[in-house]
Amino acid sequence: MRAPFRLVFEQRSETPKYLAAVVPIASVVAALFIGVIFLFATGYSPWETYSNMFQDGFASSTGITDTLGMSTVLICTAVAAAFAFQMNLYNIGGEGQLYMGMLASTWAGLALGPHLPTFVMIPVVMIIGALAGALWILIPAYVRSRLGTSEIVTTLLLTYVAANFINHYIYTSGSYFRAPNTMFPQGRLVADSARLDPFGTTNLYPTFFFVVLLALFLYWLVKKTEYGYKIQVISDSPRAAKYAGINANRTTLSVMLISGALAGLGGAMLIVGPVGRLDPGITALGYGYAGIVIAALARNNFSAIIVSGILFAGLRTGGEKLQISTDTPIHIGVMLQGAILLFALGGEAFRRYRIKTIRTKVVAQ
Amino acid sequence: MSSTSHEVAQGPHHSGGAAPSALSAHSIVKRFPGVLANDNVNFDINAGEVHTLLGENGAGKSTLAAMLCGLYQPDSGYILRNGERISLPSPRAGLQHGIAMVHQHFKLVERFSVAENVVLGSRDLNFRIDRNTIDEKVAAVAESYGLPIDPTAVVGELSVGQRQRVEIVKALYQGAEILLLDEPTAVLVPAEVEKLFENVRAMTAAGKSIVFISHKLGEVVEISDRVTVLRNGQVTGHVTGKGSANTKELAKLMVGRDIDLAPQRASHPIGHEILQIRDVSLTLNGVDVLSNISFNVHAGEMVGIAGVAGNGQRELADTIAGLISPTSGSVSIGGAMSTDKGPIHARELGLAYVPEDRLGVGLVPSMSILDNLLLTRDRDFVVDRASLQPEASRLIDQYEIKANGPEHVARKLSGGNAQKVLLARELSGGRTATKLLVVCSPTRGLDVGAIETVRRVLDDARSAGQAILLISEDLDEILSLSDRVFVIYRGAIVHETPGETADLATVGAAMAGLSSTTSEGHN
Repeated sequence: MRAPFRLVFEQRSETPKYLAAVVPIASVVAALFIGVIFLFATGYSPWETYSNMFQDGFASSTGITDTLGMSTVLICTAVAAAFAFQMNLYNIGGEGQLYMGMLASTWAGLALGPHLPTFVMIPVVMIIGALAGALWILIPAYVRSRLGTSEIVTTLLLTYVAANFINHYIYTSGSYFRAPNTMFPQGRLVADSARLDPFGTTNLYPTFFFVVLLALFLYWLVKKTEYGYKIQVISDSPRAAKYAGINANRTTLSVMLISGALAGLGGAMLIVGPVGRLDPGITALGYGYAGIVIAALARNNFSAIIVSGILFAGLRTGGEKLQISTDTPIHIGVMLQGAILLFALGGEAFRRYRIKTIRTKVVAQ
Repeated sequence: MSSTSHEVAQGPHHSGGAAPSALSAHSIVKRFPGVLANDNVNFDINAGEVHTLLGENGAGKSTLAAMLCGLYQPDSGYILRNGERISLPSPRAGLQHGIAMVHQHFKLVERFSVAENVVLGSRDLNFRIDRNTIDEKVAAVAESYGLPIDPTAVVGELSVGQRQRVEIVKALYQGAEILLLDEPTAVLVPAEVEKLFENVRAMTAAGKSIVFISHKLGEVVEISDRVTVLRNGQVTGHVTGKGSANTKELAKLMVGRDIDLAPQRASHPIGHEILQIRDVSLTLNGVDVLSNISFNVHAGEMVGIAGVAGNGQRELADTIAGLISPTSGSVSIGGAMSTDKGPIHARELGLAYVPEDRLGVGLVPSMSILDNLLLTRDRDFVVDRASLQPEASRLIDQYEIKANGPEHVARKLSGGNAQKVLLARELSGGRTATKLLVVCSPTRGLDVGAIETVRRVLDDARSAGQAILLISEDLDEILSLSDRVFVIYRGAIVHETPGETADLATVGAAMAGLSSTTSEGHN
């Protein structure tokens, strides 16, 4: 006996515009639904949990400023990831580049901070952080552009090296970066001149507006300039690029370096903003990895990243506060992130294919 | 699959109790999103005959063939095999009814031997494969249809023609009585086409039916017992009787209007030398790809380079275009050296280049027509698309490109329209006015209508005094258009002849490496 119908994937000749918005939203909804199952299974009330999360993430005044503050670095690491992804270069080592950006800008804050005023220090710290991120991706970028070595493996592995660098400087006694006389190992705070003040008593820093402008600038760069044009040609057909005399190796190198610099900049923003020192907890937060998810959710569109970055930050701040107020594990937020990525990637199938059910005919007509 | 096969009472054919057709399709309708691919199509074939499906790209001939072999299912209509209704939910079901398709793009495992490829997918294999037995069985099948082939040869080392023969042997081995050959000659050189036609005749003599799918009129006339012409999914004509079709009539049925594929070789003045190639040799990865090539192309002259694919044509074109630096020798365009200076420099000297691969090399598939026009032009840092808009619209009109405007994405253009965009860009000049046009396989895979346009564009460019280097595997095209013809074989020019007096047989022999002058060219 045959099934009364079968499913057929039919390639779409054209992707309807509305799906560009529907697929990410549906991914989030589907992920929340999966979350419901887990919350039920572990004995928490899904409705209460979600409404608390929403309240703490978006609806309260501290919630929204915390979320926007949290989104600052996430948007930065997301544009870092998207900048490489759009050229089919998979820099998944944004996490490591962020660590190195953090390390270098901490050094700048400690070493130069006492001698320079704030309006000089802030740009200096950010530039040094970005340069460190670019430096950390230099080797993967070079071997990728010259030899075609997989950047996925090299950038990922260098993240572990970067994590150990950070830990080394925090945990080694007598380290330049380590705060003296603390019970638990902790980094030394950078000079005040290397830090920005938040708005009032919130956790929102001016860097948020900077990063929004940065995302819009990148959008313009890719859509309207000759550099963006080259990126599009190379990512679609490298042979057409060669035909037109476009140097793909050089563009590959520069795109990866910029991607690394953006991730490093994210690290610098942690220093000038909320953190201000090498913090042993940083390696648990996964800003770089979250950036990959946010970029995927926004399909590497730089203006959409602003929205998906804020959404993601809301899930995080909501999840964190949940743990404090209701003792729901913080991991529900992390789990939702993973589920959203999974559905966002799976949702691509709906953009490319139409799914039809076909009744199986028993006898033709 | 239902085993209930109905006797169809209302069968429209076989009046007077004649034997039913080996295979027939009745009132076939097939829709794809936005397209009516087959509109009430009828088709039938008898044992031992060659029945050709002729039509332009998109006319619906491949769709019909796909339904005859079980790859697609019709939306309505029915198929009879020896007068009995059959349903073909899959190609395997087609095979069970003795129907097999030989695809244009071969589906062979290159690392396997001929015999291994032939038996691949057959269900009567044991867990342990006895090579000697299958080799013998495959050789026996091949031999019985006059298709000699070494069963132990590795497919990856075979020529295209031989690979095609493997596909045919595979279909026969699987018990095919009806073979559908999808554009089988598209990949073959003239000598191989002859051999294929011999095989087709041997198979029909043995009672097999051949559905021949093509848009090459000359071949269709030569091989077919009957021809069915399709246009826009409908049957527009039948011609019965071997040799009774003529190409002009078929072209008209196919396109719907009169067609002239060989523009008059207008008498035009030939000017000074534009392209000069001196002793160009090229060695890639230790292989001599080009050896000691020297020739000139003059203003107002079209020089054709004939040859079987893979004899260095692509590399020669790339070398002239500045994409490859020759190992030795020099190229100059308009009197200025362009060797080793890259593609942008060559274009600044007046080069225009239409590469063999339209989408992926000549055009960026995901980009709009407008952005593709920018590919070979100077671009400011902030790309000024607005000012190019009027020119893009004008070119779309001038070259009769079927598109929704300059924003139409290249990927969604038909082959003919993509080629027109490419020609429009290259001939409209970007950096400097075009002096030299290098075109590779400009009409491959195009509709008859588009072929006519492309050839006219090339002819106009020549009349306007541009030097044209035409590199093509289509010998008819080379001979009907070129002022001078060169034959390239293993990277060397082995034969030269004026276009008007060129002899098809001599040029064909030179392409196959049989020319008497071959020895002097290389090594």
